[in-house]
Order: sequence, then C-alpha cells, then structure tokens
Amino acid sequence: MVIQYKCPNCGADMSFDSESGHLSCPSCGRQDDIETFPEDNILRKFDPGEAKEYHCENCGAIILTEAETTATHCSFCGAAVLLADRLTGDLAPAKVIPFTISKEEAVAAFRKWTKNGRLTPRGFTSGDRIKKMTGMYVPFWLYDIDGKADVAALATRVRSYTRGDTIYTETDFYDVRREMDLSYLKVPADASEKMDDELMDKLEPYNYQELKDFRMPYLSGYLAEKYDYDDEALFSRVESKIVPYIDSYIGSTISGYSTVSYTNKQIQANKKNVYYTLFPVWMVYYDFENKEHTFAMNGQTGKVVGKPPISLFKVAAWFTGIAASAFAVMKVISFAVGGVFW
Amino acid sequence: MRELQVKWLLALCVLFIFIGVDGVTVSAAVDQRVYDNANLLNESEIAELEVVAAEHSEKHGTDFLFLTISDEEVFDIQDYMGDFFDAWAVENGQENAVLLSMNIATRDVYLAGFGTAETTLDNQRVDLVLDRILPEMQRGDYADAFHETVTTSSRYMEFRPGVNPESIFLKTWLHLAIALLLAGGVVGFMLYNSGGRVTTTPTTYFDDNNTRVTSKLDQFRNKTISRRKVPKKSSGGGGGFGGGGVTGGGRSFSGGGRKF
Repeated sequence: MVIQYKCPNCGADMSFDSESGHLSCPSCGRQDDIETFPEDNILRKFDPGEAKEYHCENCGAIILTEAETTATHCSFCGAAVLLADRLTGDLAPAKVIPFTISKEEAVAAFRKWTKNGRLTPRGFTSGDRIKKMTGMYVPFWLYDIDGKADVAALATRVRSYTRGDTIYTETDFYDVRREMDLSYLKVPADASEKMDDELMDKLEPYNYQELKDFRMPYLSGYLAEKYDYDDEALFSRVESKIVPYIDSYIGSTISGYSTVSYTNKQIQANKKNVYYTLFPVWMVYYDFENKEHTFAMNGQTGKVVGKPPISLFKVAAWFTGIAASAFAVMKVISFAVGGVFW
Repeated sequence: MRELQVKWLLALCVLFIFIGVDGVTVSAAVDQRVYDNANLLNESEIAELEVVAAEHSEKHGTDFLFLTISDEEVFDIQDYMGDFFDAWAVENGQENAVLLSMNIATRDVYLAGFGTAETTLDNQRVDLVLDRILPEMQRGDYADAFHETVTTSSRYMEFRPGVNPESIFLKTWLHLAIALLLAGGVVGFMLYNSGGRVTTTPTTYFDDNNTRVTSKLDQFRNKTISRRKVPKKSSGGGGGFGGGGVTGGGRSFSGGGRKF
C-alpha cells in the first residue's frame, strides 16, 4: 500500500514541515494539522500484486526502494510517498520525534560545526562541499528497564594521627551490603543495520519532551526505514549500555569510606516496556580531497558526530603552542616567586 | 736608532702593564679573599680561587672570603671567624661578605653571611650549600669545595630572599615536563573528541522515582592499628651546628656549620 497526502486546496503532494510541525503544501503553502488532516485527501492505493512493487500515484513510475525503506520520494516526480504496509502491524512505530531542524538550518549548523573544527584542514573548515543531505528517520528501540541489584563489599575507613614520635594508622573494616531497585526509562538503541552504533550513540541525548505518538504524516518528505533487529536482539546492547550507569549509582550509595572492594555484585535488568520509535537524523555526505566523509546530525538538537579529517600541521601547531605558552607562564610565575628565570 | 725604538716599545709595554694592574686594584677594593693559614691549597689553586671569588664578589657587591686554620685550641670556630671578620671588615671597609671558615684540626667548617648576605644567603641556603660541598670536604678536595661554595652561593643569592632555591617548582626540567604533558593531554583530548563527544551521563535515563536502596547494612567488623616512628630528617654527614649569631664586634650574621 502506498500513501500520499494530497493538498485539499490544489492537490499537490504535501510533506511534513519541521518548523510548524504541520503538513505543508509546497505549491500553495497550505498548512494542515496532522491530527485533523481530512481522511478524504489521504490517497491510499493497494497494488494488486503488492508483494514487492510500489507505484507512484502521480506518474505511475515504479518506486525503487530497499527492503527496509518505509518513506521515500518518487525518483521521477519527487512526490513524498510512504510505504504503508511497512509501517503497520508489527512494524508500526509507537513513537516518533519529529524533525525540528529544517534542511537549511541543518546546512547552517553543519557549516558552523566545520568552522569550529580546530584540528581539521583549512579546506575542510569552509564547509562548502556538502554533496548530499538526507533527512532520515532512524528506527530505535526505547527500553524501560526495571532491575534489582544486590551488592556486598568490604570497605575501610583509615585514620592517621601522631602521638609523641609515633604515627598511628587506624584502619576500620566494615561489611557493607546494599539491595536496590533500579529503573531506567527510554534507553535507546538503534535498530538499523546500516547505521554505525557508535555514531548513533554519540547523537544522544534526544529531548523526550517532544516524543509524540506515531503518525504517518510526520514521515512525509523524509526517508525512513524499518527496523532490522527486533527488541529481543538488541536488549543485550542496551544492557551493556546501562551497566556503567548502574555501577556509578551503586558507587554513589556507598559513601564515606576510604576504600571499597566489592566481594559480590549481582545485577538483574529486565525490560518492562519497549517502544518502537523513529528518531530524526540528518545524514551529511561531504566530499573532501576525493574522499567522502559521512556525518550524522541529531535532527532535534543539531549535534554533529562523525570522524572529520585531521590536519597533522594543526595538531603540531596546537601542541607546540600550548606547550610553549604553558612553559612561558610557569617561567614567569617562577620568576615572580623566585626572582630567577633559569 | 733601531735599539732605541725597541727600548721605547719595552718601556711603553711596562707602562701599560702597570696601568692595567693599577686599574684592577682600584676597581676591586679588596685584594685578598683567600686566607689559607692551614696551607691546604697550592699557589695555582689560590690564584684561581681568587679570580673566581673576585668575579662573583663584583656581581653581588658581596665579598666571598675563605679562611682556613689548623689549631686544636680553637673549639668554637664561630667565635674565631667572628673575630676574624670584625678585623677584616674594619681593615677593608666592607660589611657585605660570605665567609667560609674551616679548622682542619677539629674538622669544623662554618659558612656565614654578613651584611646583605645575611638575607640573600640565609640559614636555609647556607645549609643547602654545606650539603653540596660536604662530600668534597670529606674527600679532602678543598679547592673544588671552595670553588663550589662561590658558584653555588652566588647562584642562590640571585633568588628572592626567603625562597628555597632548590625547590622542585623552580626547576626548568619540571616546567618542561609539565608543559609537554599538558599539551599532549589537551591535544589528545581534542583529537579524541573531534568526532563528537558522548554527552549522555548516568543520570540521562535515570528514573529517580523508582530507583531506591531497599536495604542497607554497614556492619563494623574489625580494626587494625599500625605504628611507625616519625621519620627523622637526616642531615648529610657530620653534626650540624650554628645557625647565625652576632660577632664580638656586634655584626650579626646568618650561618651554619658542620663536622666533616
């Protein structure tokens, strides 16, 4: 099934506008609220042998997609189309964070980021070789996690004092035990095989205030994919993500000791709720010195991640600059204090 | 005619030498700084020491003096050198001096600072100089010990009064090491973060409504006590004594002495 949103005024294909949060018509400028968009103008078309082929309702061209694609553009007429059967049933997302950064704002934000690159080559910092920018909804699983931890530790408190010409060091040993309930809400893990996990982790955090119940019109005009991994498959990744958080919480509950060594640590984490969610990401493809660099930008906060090229010259310049000025400052201080430079 | 010219030349040379020598004696009011009464140094060593002492004396406006004696009757080298300096100061009209005196018979060495040197070479610095020269004194290498006394004291006197000149915070190698480590750390941090920084913290997804400690136990188990002696500050060979005072003539000084 293919879905297209037709403008009630002029019949053009409408797409989601990140600034207003409405469906907007590129021809006549009409804006429509997503919740109240008239059913009559939602064009649904079932292909008879709908297995693998989708047709654009405007021009009849075959819509070329990968198996994971759920939202795209018709490659002939450019109309925003959603592949609805890939967004329903088990594949229906529960939540979505809509784009709040438009393409223009994304380009500006990316330029600003390249300009701030202190170690990147001069040609790169100009930021004017963006080859392609793609707004994409990346599938994530959000986990509400419930857990219990039971830890035992041997802790010491050390005091030291002097009586006469003897130094006494007193060490008190304590048996420490803590049992605790743990709860973490909406910990994300990206469910797309294509996306680099490390890159996606660095895009966090998203602002969950703007987490909305999923509605298809949000995807109109962007690319979107369905998940490659289900919530079971990704749970271990989320677990490994929150274990350091849990460790730091456990550490914060045992305070006032000089040393703490754990003798037993049992952590149990279960998923309570899972939400299939789409997060907004701008993918930036950038050409520099015959190589394509890929960057990702958080479509909500504008945070940019990705490995930029590094200029050895700038690295060396920063190193010598910092070393020389630190050395000079210390020399001035030692002159002020000691009255001698060398 | 030719002989006459040669004679004139010779006479001129002699004249110049006299003028030259005269010039030196005029600019440095003090003509003797090494009083080697115990005959521990040979002629060339004395000459060399005089040159070095004169050079540094001029630099600080403080004379570097050396007094050696060999007298078993002198029990208090501090009094002896005080009397010596009272006489020397009157004779030379100079109150600023660093005086190293030693009695080879009792194996005492005493370093004192008079006048401005009382602050520029205070008790702490005197001790530091003695620490450095004592190994040479014990080896009997007096010429080198005296030479080092001049150069080390002279160097210490360049520092602001009251500052420990051997403080590790004033060492160039430490400044260099800190500068390189700092630069390496900062640039390493920049490199590591060039691809974007992880900005999630343990509290990002933390649910404080439902995370709580349900049971808590802090049970005292046992106690150990270890004792050790307060470490004594070791002085480098031989007992130290002195620490400044006032001479019979009323001149106060900083100083310190050792047995070697």
